Amino acid sequence: MPGPTIELTIYENEEALLAGLRRRDPDSCACLIKRFAPLVYAQAIRLLGDADEAEGILQQTFIKACDKLDTYEGRSGLGSWLYRIATNEALMHLRQRSPHVNLADVAETIQEDEMPHRLTSWTFDPAAAALNSELRMVLEQALATLPEALRVVFVLRDIQGLSTEETAAALGLGESAVKVRLHRARLRLRELLSAYMQEH
Amino acid sequence: MTCEELIAHLSSYIDHEMDAALVAEVQEHIAHCRNCRVVLDTTRRLIVLVHDEGQRVIPADQRSALFERLHQAFLKRPQASNESAV
Repeated sequence: MPGPTIELTIYENEEALLAGLRRRDPDSCACLIKRFAPLVYAQAIRLLGDADEAEGILQQTFIKACDKLDTYEGRSGLGSWLYRIATNEALMHLRQRSPHVNLADVAETIQEDEMPHRLTSWTFDPAAAALNSELRMVLEQALATLPEALRVVFVLRDIQGLSTEETAAALGLGESAVKVRLHRARLRLRELLSAYMQEH
Repeated sequence: MTCEELIAHLSSYIDHEMDAALVAEVQEHIAHCRNCRVVLDTTRRLIVLVHDEGQRVIPADQRSALFERLHQAFLKRPQASNESAV
């Protein structure tokens, strides 16, 4: 059965949507999911690197959001709030999935094979390239090849835009570990994307 | 500063987490080293490219069932106040 067709502008703004959610207006739930599920799903899949697990996190995020709706104060905006719940749920899932290995056990120095080898300039305009679906796919594939410990730091710092301090706190790492992992992730991704850029 | 040292400090330089003396050394190096200039430029472009990289379409076969489950969870969630249950 397809999801109901809901006009996303049925609520004038987030305040009206939130009021609808608190009244348990069924349209408001549909509107919340349709508006924010792609954002939540993107974050979950980037952190977990697995579509099935990301779907589980998507579900948990909205269910948890429903549970917390009455205490949500609306200071950060619904999107940021859901994004934060999704991040916490995904990180908790990662810790449960691999409590001792992937998140903690990683070399804290640049590896020899991470030194840059591809030294061709990129000619694209990043603002325009962000809209390029092929490039986005290449980027997502490259991201999925990173070891979990590097990928998670890269997602929180460079995609989500958290500070080093916030990332360290979210992952239970020291700030110097966050910096080294971010650096290693950037070098690896730069190398992978350079291969694509050379061909296009 | 050697190329290896520059690569080791690259992210600190990009993130402005480096003291002034080292910044000057990096700038002097990249002024003369084309390869390191390319690595710096492409790494910066990568960061711009990925920042808030956006949304992702949920596969169609998962969308409907997921929507239905979430909708039910929403409608059945417990009341926080003394309102009667829906």
